[in-house]
Amino acid sequence: MRAKAAIAVFGTGIVLIVLLNILLLNPVALRAQDATATLSGTVTDHAGRVLPDVKVTVKNLATGQSTDTQTNSDGIYTVSNLAAGDYEVSVLAAEGASSTMPTTLTAGASQKVDLVLNATPPPTEASPTATPPAPAETLPEAPSAQKTEPSLEDLGFSKTETQSNTAEQALLDKRTRMLRIHQRMGLITTIPLVATVILGPGAGGKSEGTVTRDLHVALGSLTGDLYGITAWYAIRAPRIAGTQKRGPIRFHEAMAWIHGPGMILTPILGALAFQQKNNGEKVHGIASLHGPVAIVTAGAYGAALLSVSVKF
Amino acid sequence: MTKKILPLFLMLAVPSLFAADHQWVLKQSTLTYHVSHTLHQSEGVSHAARGKGLCHEGQCDFLIAVPVKSFDSGDSNRDLHMIQVTRGAEFPMVTVRTHLPESAATVTTIQADIEIQFAGQTAHYKQLTFAVVTKGTETELTGTIPATLTDFKIDPPSLLTIPVKNEVPIRVEMTWSPQ
Repeated sequence: MRAKAAIAVFGTGIVLIVLLNILLLNPVALRAQDATATLSGTVTDHAGRVLPDVKVTVKNLATGQSTDTQTNSDGIYTVSNLAAGDYEVSVLAAEGASSTMPTTLTAGASQKVDLVLNATPPPTEASPTATPPAPAETLPEAPSAQKTEPSLEDLGFSKTETQSNTAEQALLDKRTRMLRIHQRMGLITTIPLVATVILGPGAGGKSEGTVTRDLHVALGSLTGDLYGITAWYAIRAPRIAGTQKRGPIRFHEAMAWIHGPGMILTPILGALAFQQKNNGEKVHGIASLHGPVAIVTAGAYGAALLSVSVKF
Repeated sequence: MTKKILPLFLMLAVPSLFAADHQWVLKQSTLTYHVSHTLHQSEGVSHAARGKGLCHEGQCDFLIAVPVKSFDSGDSNRDLHMIQVTRGAEFPMVTVRTHLPESAATVTTIQADIEIQFAGQTAHYKQLTFAVVTKGTETELTGTIPATLTDFKIDPPSLLTIPVKNEVPIRVEMTWSPQ
C-alpha cells in the first residue's frame, strides 16, 4: 500500500513536471498565437547595397499608430508585437531618398517586406530663358534659412549610445523569458518543498509508520525534480556583457551556494536514513544529518525567494 | 559718456529687443521614474540627459535626450529587465521636444506641451506645469511628467505574477543656462 502511495505521488509529479514544461516553455508561443505579428526586412539602395542605421516607420492604417525602428549593420529591421491589419512600411534616408510599401499582417505571422531606397531625383536644369529666383534673404517675409530645431547630433552622444542593437534586444528578450520561467518554477517548487519539510518529523524519529515516510520521500523527489528545472533556467539564462551585479540579486545568487549543494546532499542523506529505518534501525551516523541539512537548505531557499520578492 | 553707456546697457539688459538668435544648454539634470508594485516601490535615476534649446525671434525649440541604459535603480537585475521591457537596446534614447517662448525664463511657472519618443513610440503631453527658478544666469525647471506604460505600448512587468501599476510618473529637475 505504501508503495502504491509513493508511486501515485511520484507519477503525479512526473505528469505535473511534463505539463509545466509544456506550459512554461512556450508562454511566448502561446501568447504569439493570439494576435501579434512580426514584420522584418532589408533596406537597400538602388544599387543593391544594404543600408544600416536607417529609420524605418511602420504605420497601422486603421489606427494611425506609428512604430519607428532602425536597420542594423546588415540593413535589417524588425518590428514585433504588431496587431493584425493593414500597414504602410516606409523608410526615409537623410539625403531625402525614400520608399514606401503597403502590406497586410495576419495574426501570428512573420512577414518580410524589403525596401529599396529610390535615388533622390536629380535637380532639373533651369530654362535659359527663366529668371533665376532671388536669394531667400532678399524676398519679403521670407522664412529664415537658419535651423530652429536642435537635433540629436547636436547633443554630442556617441554612435554607440544612439545606435539600435537588435541582437542585444533579442538577447535581453531571451533572458527575460527564461528568468520568468525560473521565477514561476521557483514558486511552484516551494509547494512540495514546504510539504516535504512538514512531513519530515513524522517520517523519521520514533515514528514506526511508513505512509508518512513514503509520502515524504515522494514529495522530496518531486521537490528535487522541480528544483532542478528551476535552477536550469537560471543557469542557462543569457548573461549581458558589461553588467555589474548590484542590489538584492547578489544575495539571491549567494544563497544558491547553500541551497544548491543542500538539494544534492539532503536526498543522499535521506536515502541513508530511509534505509536504516526500513531495516528497523534508529537513524544514526551521517544519516542523522539529513534533517538539519534539509532545514538549512529550505531556509536558504526561502531567503533567496524573499530577497527578490520584498524590499528589506 | 552717457551716449556710449546707454546703448551698451540696452544690449546687455534687453537682448530680446535685438531679436538675436541664441542658445540654451542643459547644464545639469536629474530624471527619476517611479514604478509602483504591491510589494515594491522602486525608482530609477539618470543624470545623463543632454539638452539644447535654439531660440529665434523670441521662440525657442528645445530637445532633451537621455540614454535608456543610464537609469539606475540600484538593482542591476531590475535595470536589465527595464531595458528589455522598454526595448532599450532597440530604441536606446528617450527624446523630449518642446517649444517655449523665451519669456518663459522670467516667470515662476510655465505650461508646456511636450512630445516624448520612447520605446519606439511617440506620446504627447499637453499643458504640463513646470516650476521655474532663476538663479543668476541659470534657470532651474522642476516638474513631473504623468507617463504611463500604455502611452508607449510597454507590457507591464510583473513580480510574483502581480503586474506593476500602469502609472510611471517621471520627475524632472533641470538646470539650463544660456550659451
